[in-house]
Amino acid sequence: MAIPGTLWLVALFVIPAYAILAVAFGDIDPILRTTAPAWSPLAWSGSTMVDTLGRVFGGDLGKVFVRTGLYAAAALAGCCLIGYPVAYFTARRAGRSRGLVLGLLVLPFWISYLMRMLAWVNLLQPDGYVNAILSALHLGARDHNWLDGDWPTVVIGLIYGYVPFFILPLYAALERLDERLIEASRDLGASSFSTFLRVTLPLSVPGLMAASVIVLLPMCGDYYTNTYLTGGSPRTEMVGNQIEFFLRGSSQPQSGASLVIILMAFLLVAMGYYLVVIARTQREGRS
Amino acid sequence: MATTRRQFISRSGRLGLLLGLGGLPILSACGSDETSAADLEPIADGLEPEAGPLRLFNYADYVNPDVVAKFEEMYGVTVEITTFDVDSEAITKLANGSVEVDVHHSAAPNSLDRLIAGGILQPLNPSYLPNRANLLASYDDPWYDPGSIYTVPYTVFSSGIGYRADRIDPAVVAEKGWDILWDPTYKGATSILDDYREGIAMALLRAGVTDVNTSDEALIKQAGDDLLELVDLMNIKVNIEGYKDIPEGITDLAHTWSGDVITGAYSYLPEGTDPSVIGWWYPADNVGVVNNDCMAVTANAANPVLAHLYINFLLDSAIAEENFTWNGYLPPIQGLDADYLIAAEYVPENLASAVLTDDVISKGLRFEPLELETDQLWEQTWSTFTAG
Amino acid sequence: MSVGGYRPGRRLGPLMVITWLYVLWSLLPVLIAVRISFNSGKSRSSFQSTSMRWYWEDPASVWRDQALQTALSNTLKLAVLTMVLAVPIGVAMAIGLQRWRGRASRAANNLMLLPLVTPEIVIGVALFLVFTQIYSSIPRGFTTQLLGHVTFTLSYVVVIVRGRLLSIGGQFEEAARDLGATRMQALRLVLLPQLGPAIFASFMVVFATSVDDFVISSFLSTGASSETVPIKIYASARAAATPAVNAVATVMLVVTLAIVAVGGLAIWAYRRNQGATLGSAAAATGIGG
Repeated sequence: MAIPGTLWLVALFVIPAYAILAVAFGDIDPILRTTAPAWSPLAWSGSTMVDTLGRVFGGDLGKVFVRTGLYAAAALAGCCLIGYPVAYFTARRAGRSRGLVLGLLVLPFWISYLMRMLAWVNLLQPDGYVNAILSALHLGARDHNWLDGDWPTVVIGLIYGYVPFFILPLYAALERLDERLIEASRDLGASSFSTFLRVTLPLSVPGLMAASVIVLLPMCGDYYTNTYLTGGSPRTEMVGNQIEFFLRGSSQPQSGASLVIILMAFLLVAMGYYLVVIARTQREGRS
Repeated sequence: MATTRRQFISRSGRLGLLLGLGGLPILSACGSDETSAADLEPIADGLEPEAGPLRLFNYADYVNPDVVAKFEEMYGVTVEITTFDVDSEAITKLANGSVEVDVHHSAAPNSLDRLIAGGILQPLNPSYLPNRANLLASYDDPWYDPGSIYTVPYTVFSSGIGYRADRIDPAVVAEKGWDILWDPTYKGATSILDDYREGIAMALLRAGVTDVNTSDEALIKQAGDDLLELVDLMNIKVNIEGYKDIPEGITDLAHTWSGDVITGAYSYLPEGTDPSVIGWWYPADNVGVVNNDCMAVTANAANPVLAHLYINFLLDSAIAEENFTWNGYLPPIQGLDADYLIAAEYVPENLASAVLTDDVISKGLRFEPLELETDQLWEQTWSTFTAG
Repeated sequence: MSVGGYRPGRRLGPLMVITWLYVLWSLLPVLIAVRISFNSGKSRSSFQSTSMRWYWEDPASVWRDQALQTALSNTLKLAVLTMVLAVPIGVAMAIGLQRWRGRASRAANNLMLLPLVTPEIVIGVALFLVFTQIYSSIPRGFTTQLLGHVTFTLSYVVVIVRGRLLSIGGQFEEAARDLGATRMQALRLVLLPQLGPAIFASFMVVFATSVDDFVISSFLSTGASSETVPIKIYASARAAATPAVNAVATVMLVVTLAIVAVGGLAIWAYRRNQGATLGSAAAATGIGG
């Protein structure tokens, strides 16, 4: 049953991924300066990769990678804090209103992500609703400029953009939790809190992991959320912005492709951890 | 079509050159039409226009939809617009054939040499373009296209500083010039153009360097360092949104294009705000960057006659004027000077200097094509700056 | 903390408060975007007065700008076809990977995860390269965009469905087999119904991802005839944008809601009819309780 999917991915993912290597280690057309991929590894030239590695490790791009990782980690933490209670409530406590809640949860999906981000820009403007609400609640200055290139705005934007993608898979996993285990724990005298900590939470680890993977990795390649929310401040530049700059039509697409390969190497480490956890859960499930 | 000897030699010569450099040449590999500039001839005189649809390739929202609708009505055809975001993206897409269009609506002069050498544009047939007579004399024989063989200018614009005249005294802007972008009084309310040529050129001009195509590594590095200083000193924003951020009061000072302050005053001011709140500064000695966008017909256009007719249509004085009232970018057409445009209430009086005069155009610095290594150095410098 | 309270109820607990606050938070920008579409001015941020200008009066409005309509129909067609292709392939792949043991399975498993670690722009560039240079016989434009969308949403489906499969475990299906159900029957009658929420989540995530994507669509677009709404929004955010893009996004929202409502009703009616059958089948195989 896994065959069609696997073949699909080989044809439309593995071969294209090789094309990225061919670009990173390839050349450019001397007239048009567009990419001229080197399909044969024999023709590969690693000089751009070496330069790019130099810029990432100890050079000017190192901080962009660190920044990207921190933003994504902070946004993931936010997704967990907001997403877990919402998914838990929807899956297990919403009762008859579950359908309605689910509908409202997926509603923002159906207006384009970019459109929602543009709307956030309106909300966050100095004379926007966010400041109006905050000042009405006496929580902040009336004229705070949220779009001034500060990291919290970007992290909040990332959370806002990705948390629906976090909630749904988590919801799917939580909805299946075995209620009997939770009841058993309580029958054995555990408090609500320790039942949650010792039974519910461990049982939801696979779902949490899946949800985390689904949001964390695309966040690392995001380049429009920060651009929209900070008016293009260099202080919030992420790796995706650099990749976009070099790949969308610069005279050195090899640099962009090299950055892609370096970014993917980092992400694969994160991915490796997910695989280990899944494998462990599967073993435990079988024994 | 039989391959002529000349074609064969030029073709194999180029293939050899490309293969010698190691990669599979993307252009030769995927371009079904193996054209090079020398093979192309303009279309014959007196042909009937095709049935369309005419396909334009342009920046988003850069041509007045009313103008397009008039053309559609006049020739009984439909017009489709395909958009691109940055010039280099347009070259890439035309080069590898991933878009199929008839008219390249807004080519940058500094990339024309690549488009022409790559065989992407066809020579124009002047017999279809009588309205060329309306063009300013300075565009009869432009530096980027000697003899105007391939292109017709679409708009002309300069790069300066747009600002809030109600918040910053115009005398202060005039006195400080480019240095005002480095004045922390305006921290957090300043932006510069998201364009590596424009941004680095601005830093060069501020440092007194007027060679905006320099290959001098030390100068480029200094410009890059100066830009980096803006990150913490000014909390600088890098975007091309001055056209709305100044009228809306988000930005007080923006390195931007002349067309953007005009369109900003015309279309983006909140209701009831006087257009005099928007100011425009351009170097007093008129030594600044002047650029233009060009219209051209692609070599593989399916509707070349219609494409010529469209270009000619946009050179009509009344049509050019109508287009200007929508996008704020000046067509280099005779008669559309500051006096006329102000009298017609298209441009507020305080933005008169954003309408380019002959002197601004003739003294303007131009972006020329850069050698590959220089271009890459400029790009790297820009990437270092935007990394913060 | 009320997390341990185990009866679904109407009590206003902190969880419920968080959930509703979240719903408000998530919908507010959508409402703002919709409101701006009724702006009488050309600005997307300063609201002047209410009008239908960007729906049908202005030459650049949704009704009069053919390009916006093309973009709208392209976006919806792409999203629906992507769901139709990606969800079944992905569900099958998740179930297959769960059962398939050995080195090849591990390889396929790792392969499935790779698109998740790949930024959209990379998939866009990579697909663009292969479609122009290797698979050049596939007509570019809508078809390649569809292939691209399926490729990058497939893994989402697999991950979501596997999360659910892992928490279900194999025992129900084994029980069904022990009680004489064939492999297909066990799959159809036992496993798939239990996968319902995960399949639902997959449909939603795939639809949303496809509707949101502009990077892959724009790399694989060949011109006006294959532009989508996000391409229009992105392009106009860089240039002088008008509320017409908000209007087209609003129309998209309404059309989607209508489709979902019809689909939801259909599923509801189907469930009502099937409820009895499913219940008795479950009872027959001994897993009803």
